[in-house]
Amino acid sequence: MHQGVTEVAASVQRGETTAEASTEAALARIAQFNPRLNALLYVARDRALDQARAVDAKRARGEQPGRLAGVPIAIKDAICTRGMPSTAGSKILAGYVPPYDATVIERLRAADAIIIGKANMDEFAMGSSNENSAFGAAKNPWDLTRTPGGSSGGSAASVAARLTPCALGSDTGGSIRQPAALTGTVGIKPTYGRVPRYGLIAFASSLDQIGPMATDVRGAARVLSVIAGRDPRDSTSLDAPVDDFEAACGRSIKGLRIGVPDEYFAEGLDGEVGASVRAAIGELEKEGCVVVPVRLPHTRFAVATYYVLANAEASSNLARFDGVRYGLRVDEPGGDLRTMYGATRDAGFGPEVKRRILLGTFVLSAGYFDAYYLKAQKLRTLVRRDFEDAFRDVDIVCSPTSPTPAFRLGERVDDPLAMYLSDVYTLPASLAGIPAISVPCAPTAAGLPVGLQLMAPALHETTMLRVAAAWEARAPARGALPEMLAG
Amino acid sequence: MTAGRVAEAKPGARGVAATAGLAFLSMAAPKVDRALVLRVAKLACLSLSDIEADHLAGDLARIVGYVEQLDLLDTRDVAPTAHVQLERAPWREDEPTPGLSHDDALAQAPRTERDGFAVPAFVE
Repeated sequence: MHQGVTEVAASVQRGETTAEASTEAALARIAQFNPRLNALLYVARDRALDQARAVDAKRARGEQPGRLAGVPIAIKDAICTRGMPSTAGSKILAGYVPPYDATVIERLRAADAIIIGKANMDEFAMGSSNENSAFGAAKNPWDLTRTPGGSSGGSAASVAARLTPCALGSDTGGSIRQPAALTGTVGIKPTYGRVPRYGLIAFASSLDQIGPMATDVRGAARVLSVIAGRDPRDSTSLDAPVDDFEAACGRSIKGLRIGVPDEYFAEGLDGEVGASVRAAIGELEKEGCVVVPVRLPHTRFAVATYYVLANAEASSNLARFDGVRYGLRVDEPGGDLRTMYGATRDAGFGPEVKRRILLGTFVLSAGYFDAYYLKAQKLRTLVRRDFEDAFRDVDIVCSPTSPTPAFRLGERVDDPLAMYLSDVYTLPASLAGIPAISVPCAPTAAGLPVGLQLMAPALHETTMLRVAAAWEARAPARGALPEMLAG
Repeated sequence: MTAGRVAEAKPGARGVAATAGLAFLSMAAPKVDRALVLRVAKLACLSLSDIEADHLAGDLARIVGYVEQLDLLDTRDVAPTAHVQLERAPWREDEPTPGLSHDDALAQAPRTERDGFAVPAFVE
């Protein structure tokens, strides 16, 4: 019951179960729990079963099934899947069926993973609570009145409720790590350029990165090893060798230097979250890590910097939604081309997306570019330097992932700024392009999950995974399941 | 947590102005009102109703106010980061590869005409 990625793949590879049985089990859990969770927007029942039977046939022929043999995976709806809807959580793309697969989807299929469906998300990945989805918010399996986080909230809810042992999310400013923290799952934002973005519906191209979410660290590492690596169709994808991420899980962490930045334990941090994360750091010290205080002085400027840069890029990326080549179109009788553009975009985009397009257009507009956009790019340099300085003294930087546990649905919808500030601990790693992971630590007294964030220098995912796996092995939250799964 | 201007910077940090309230912004903060929102909306090809524009003006004024805390930093000698790319990606071989078929490319279009995308008139 509730096997992780590596267990499912091993059972299928050894013939103890079939890919079809594993897919049927996932479909049954989805039928039972998804109506309450709204985690998946689309379930690819028939295609998933066909794919599973093909994996079983492969094994029957004596061929070795792939590294993700028969592993059901939910895909964030911003990632293009050939022949399946891909809406990015937006009304403007309702019913859109891409004519091609994203590179990560091709790689998952080649590894014999089963693409089970598309996961709910904030519209165009803009949000921290899933409430900006045009198709209703996903719910947190630990408390259905609370958010699973965002923007990859559906992916997180799917993994937390064990609908699937893993999912793909995308992270622009924390959209994998924050929902992982709020749902007690593991989420990795890889180094910028590790995982190809070809086929990811773009939000902010200099920040967007696809990454895995899973029930355990090793499972997330396995999925990362499948999707990582150079792709000629993404000019920002790195040529760096794909390390053995899984082998890193289980290596000793004795002697590793763990940096703890004061700036991440400051005003605004929930007391229970702070205590849980500090307890985890204490355990790592007992395991032989050396804890070193570090300074990341520009952390407090990360939110403002991020919202200028990300939205500037978004305003440009979202110009492609114009009612001509795909998606919604609103024609007004006798209207010209510009009228059609305006009417289509007004009807198709939700309030948060409009807010961000306007902010992004404003900071790029004549007269304001230097004061806002260029200024923010300079701040981005300072945030990067903070990490370069810190990583001269430490191997890993450790912090809370989110300043609070999952908040109630509706609590922050009327206050965009309060919502933005909930990303304060995840934005700096995004701006610096470095890898980061969220892994569960001790829950709050009310039983809400808490996430420990580990950040590593660029391309040092293996160090981060070593520490994450070592912590997970002794974590108090290990194996805990939401109550709804018992009933 | 409060929106709006940060009154003082933490002294001592590199690049952070030690003098409280010292601003380095190159121009006065703009007044974010309905007129500015409608002007920007036109640039972004968004038709907004007046009610929407008023609401968005309030939101944007608060967000722009918050963003102005960046003025506290003297960044005259800091180079901007446009992209964190670690290395220059190798050039792709200049070889043709198959792209989308004509039919696939048109399959999702809301309107097609004579085997192409159909748009309203745009030439007077």
